[in-house]
Amino acid sequence: MLSGKFRSALVIGGQGIRARKLRTFLSMVSLFLGVLAVVAVQAGSEIAERAMLTDVELQSGKDGTIRGYVPGEKGAPAIVESTLKGRTDAVAMISSNAIIGEPGVRPINEGGMPFEYAGQGRGYYGPTMICDSNGSCQEQKQPEKKPDGQAIEVSMVALTGDIRAFKPFRPVSGSWLDFGSAPALAPRIVLNEEAAKGLRQYRVPGEMTIEGATHHVTPQIIGVVQDGDMQPRVYMRLDELRTWMPSATETTNSNQYRGGGTSLDLFLQPGSDDLQQLLKAKLIGAGVSQEQMQFQAVKSKERMESELRIMRLIFLGMAFLVLLIGVAGILNVGLATVGERVEEFALRRAVGMSRLLLAGIVLAETLLTGLLTAALAIGAGAAGLQVALMMFGSRFPSLVGTAFPWEAGVAGVIAGLIAGVLGGLIPAIRAAQIPIATVMRA
Amino acid sequence: MTQSFDQPTVQVQAPLLQLNGITKVLKGQGEPRTILSGVDFTVHPGQSVAILGRSGSGKSTLLSLIGLFDRADEGQYFLHGNDITKLPERRAAALRSAEFGFVFQRFFLLKHLTAAQNVAMALVNGQGWSARRKRKQQVMEALEQVGIAHLAKSKPTRLSGGEQQRVAIARALVRQPRIILADEPTGALDTETGNLVVEVLLNTTRQGCGLVLVTHDHDHARKMGRVMELRDGRFN
Ligand SMILES: Nc1ncnc2c1ncn2[C@@H]1O[C@H](COP(=O)(O)OP(=O)(O)OP(=O)(O)O)[C@@H](O)[C@H]1O
Ligand SMILES: [Mg+2]
Repeated sequence: MLSGKFRSALVIGGQGIRARKLRTFLSMVSLFLGVLAVVAVQAGSEIAERAMLTDVELQSGKDGTIRGYVPGEKGAPAIVESTLKGRTDAVAMISSNAIIGEPGVRPINEGGMPFEYAGQGRGYYGPTMICDSNGSCQEQKQPEKKPDGQAIEVSMVALTGDIRAFKPFRPVSGSWLDFGSAPALAPRIVLNEEAAKGLRQYRVPGEMTIEGATHHVTPQIIGVVQDGDMQPRVYMRLDELRTWMPSATETTNSNQYRGGGTSLDLFLQPGSDDLQQLLKAKLIGAGVSQEQMQFQAVKSKERMESELRIMRLIFLGMAFLVLLIGVAGILNVGLATVGERVEEFALRRAVGMSRLLLAGIVLAETLLTGLLTAALAIGAGAAGLQVALMMFGSRFPSLVGTAFPWEAGVAGVIAGLIAGVLGGLIPAIRAAQIPIATVMRA
Repeated sequence: MTQSFDQPTVQVQAPLLQLNGITKVLKGQGEPRTILSGVDFTVHPGQSVAILGRSGSGKSTLLSLIGLFDRADEGQYFLHGNDITKLPERRAAALRSAEFGFVFQRFFLLKHLTAAQNVAMALVNGQGWSARRKRKQQVMEALEQVGIAHLAKSKPTRLSGGEQQRVAIARALVRQPRIILADEPTGALDTETGNLVVEVLLNTTRQGCGLVLVTHDHDHARKMGRVMELRDGRFN
């Protein structure tokens, strides 16, 4: 019985659409734009969210990661190093500054700033005061002026383990550090894109100086990664660093002032509370004050979603308006068609079709149109995304490899369905209310 | 010849349909108007009835009540002895499909469909479903019955008035109804074509079908088993 009704509806709906191709097409045009708008907004915000999330993950770590910041003083680097040795559930980044290039010269980007700003803000600004926590200040001696030379300053990050479990670095070229093998005598380093750019741009000799290190080394560059950082950075294994710089450096007043010095950045897997307690206890025991240690979970997704939600709502609102225009178009054509088909509908009921089925068929015709339109709009959206990626993809590296998000497809189908229902319901009710006796009167 | 066929056999059987004291009042703008008042009407299987009456006497209104297009304000309606006076619309649609065949003065064919598809319309109405081949066979049988099987693939715009009306009759016959209701089916046709159409309709009564023919043509009316005239909303 049900299948009889359903099949009848299909046959009749198909006949109706074929008999009014132009009308069907016209009602599809406006709806197409509406559904396309919804698809575009949905796809756009979905892609933007993913792109933002990967960038945020690169910078602050994956969602849920517990990050700890510990000052690089009072033996903290050594404590952290020994505590985390051989562990995979936590990694520390021990950062200090290093200079790559001619020895004994002032680097192009003094302080390790991005090269974009290199050469700006040089010069003498008068005496610099440095104050300690007790409030007693002393004038800092101006560092002896070094001659400018072919060298760049980078932030050198020594890793106790593979940081990619917490920060999804994207490979650009070469390979990443291999933490499984025995430490090499010639230190291997991986550059971030900014450091690679500096090396390339300024044709710097590949020799490396580290503050506090006793001798120069020639590092072996094995790869370049995208780490989402503006600062030039080089990554290396902490154990390899130790072969030519046996002890961890302490932060001095002068390099702390410059934002440099040794800093400890810890990444712990969610749920590793015991390890956190252990570290804290050891550090406090060594005299590091509790207030200077910070541990907190990364909640990038949550924060970002609330930021995106408002944007998305605004755009969805606009898309909804466009969709409404599409619905009005379908409704308009649908009502006109019912007017034209009064006799057909009365006749169908006269030969035994029920009111409900007649209404269902009118609704099915617009639903079919709506779904067909949605399919076309989704196809157009997906094709448009591919074209856009081909044209602009290289400028936005985080978008490379983006597929058309299925959420946008679902949104498009829902929009098509809603439009079909809204645009078909009134004509369907009208059709069901046509009085047979009046129409068929001779 | 039809009279001799009708009268003796039919009276002993139970009536196909029976209307008692049917009243229809039109409540449009202004005064309510009584179109039909206390009409009694009976049709037996295989019986043919002609309804005469001048324009506006309520013939079409009566037919629309018999065919369940509309409901009476008073009176009772029995179909095969069952009281269907207060039948819900959903059931009425099923009865229209199974029991009645309709033919109108205007043919009401759908322009975008072929003759065969127009006939198949009565089969594709949500009241049951038969396979395409079975449908095709039923359609061809109905078209043969009215003598235009060769025009099955033609669109209505390419058919003459008589041919179109015969397509409409085939559409009324395709579900093998018990009663044919024809409202001035010859009104738009010339005399000769009209005669042909009336013959086709009368033929259906040979298989026990009831026929109610509304007409202005006394010659056609005389061919029916019974002739009734509506005047002032009642038969006399
Ligand atoms: N829907 C309606 N609105 C207004 N008046 C109506 C309606 N239906 C029927 N009538 C009136 O009811 C009366 C009977 O109409 P009906 O069509 O039954 O007459 P008829 O006998 O079929 O006439 P004809 O021979 O011209 O077809 C007429 O006076 C008509 O004006
Ligand atoms: Mg009439």
